[in-house]
Amino acid sequence: MKSKVMLMLMGALGVLTTAPAWGHHSFAAEYDSTQMITLKGTISKVEWTNPHIYVYLDVKDANGKVTTWALEGYPPNTLKRTGFSRELLKVGDEITATAYKSKDGSNTGAGREFTFPDGSKKFAGPVGN
Amino acid sequence: MKTPLIGAIFLTASAMLVAQTAAPAPEATAKPIPRTVDGHPDLTGTWQAGGVSINGEPGAPPLHPLAPTKYRPPARQPIPYQDWAKTKQKTFTVLDDPTSKCLLPGVPRIVGMPMPMEIVQTPKEVVILYESFRAYRRIPINDKLEHPDDLTPTWMGDSVGRWEGDTFVVDVTGFNDKTWLAGLGSIHTEKLHVIERYHLNDDDTISYTANVEDPGSLTKPWVTGVVLRRPVDVRVEEYECIENNPDNEHIRKAMELKQSNKQ
Repeated sequence: MKSKVMLMLMGALGVLTTAPAWGHHSFAAEYDSTQMITLKGTISKVEWTNPHIYVYLDVKDANGKVTTWALEGYPPNTLKRTGFSRELLKVGDEITATAYKSKDGSNTGAGREFTFPDGSKKFAGPVGN
Repeated sequence: MKTPLIGAIFLTASAMLVAQTAAPAPEATAKPIPRTVDGHPDLTGTWQAGGVSINGEPGAPPLHPLAPTKYRPPARQPIPYQDWAKTKQKTFTVLDDPTSKCLLPGVPRIVGMPMPMEIVQTPKEVVILYESFRAYRRIPINDKLEHPDDLTPTWMGDSVGRWEGDTFVVDVTGFNDKTWLAGLGSIHTEKLHVIERYHLNDDDTISYTANVEDPGSLTKPWVTGVVLRRPVDVRVEEYECIENNPDNEHIRKAMELKQSNKQ
């Protein structure tokens, strides 16, 4: 209910652009906002790139099999301006990430909240819509 | 119809409201607007329309909350399309969005992107440097708003400006027909003509409006706009959009998967 009111209020405020949250492409066409997954794994690669960063996580299942997940995040400049610096992502560190699963069936997700080895948390990407 | 793009608008929009309620900042105080030596309002500086870095989001207030402003953009209105354009609009998917391929967003769409822009104001010319898509606009000041007579259509069009009282008015024409105005499939023709107004408010914000005319696709002018804020501790930086942009491949696969699941 609360969110509905906010949507209505926003309509009244007026917004110029098409997709400011994710910048330049549709979130909902790519990711399933109803499928949030939690991944605990080791950072194997970081692409601090535009238009979006990608963090690769090696996630081990109960049988020891490793699956690599690619998690997309905000643009680098946006992250920097929210206090999420590149230095927070260290290859070899174990982190826990929540993410919205990709709709294309691949091991890709839209990263949301990352929990770092010291327990601190940062949002890597937007809330699903 | 609620499209994914529209959904994204609401997402940011609601995030902005959350930020405004969750992270109260001191009320802005009215003060005399800064002026250049020639007496015009001084628009120089870094400005931004929205995005999580200035609005915050649920669970993450911005690092530097901005004081609320009493100024509001014009009420949102649908683009008044002619029938053929309305029909054509429905044939597009998000994969067709030029900006998803890192192509220039055009005017006025670029003004609302969630990244900063820097206005450099001189007596003869105003230059806007956009972080988004590394775009720039040169806006020569010309009281008759005369454009060069050798224009060929471009993504950002040709801009000329003049001061009307305290408002900087920019006339933009010479567009190609490849950009979108706002939202899924929001096409236009090469007859697009945009009149922008930049008005510096007394609380360090700019009220920006765009009067969008296109006798080729619209039934009447469409008005849109934003209130531009000064982000704290932010400068325009590099954004090389084409560097690593696999999203459309994922979206195409997701669409194919959805289609094959239906069959």
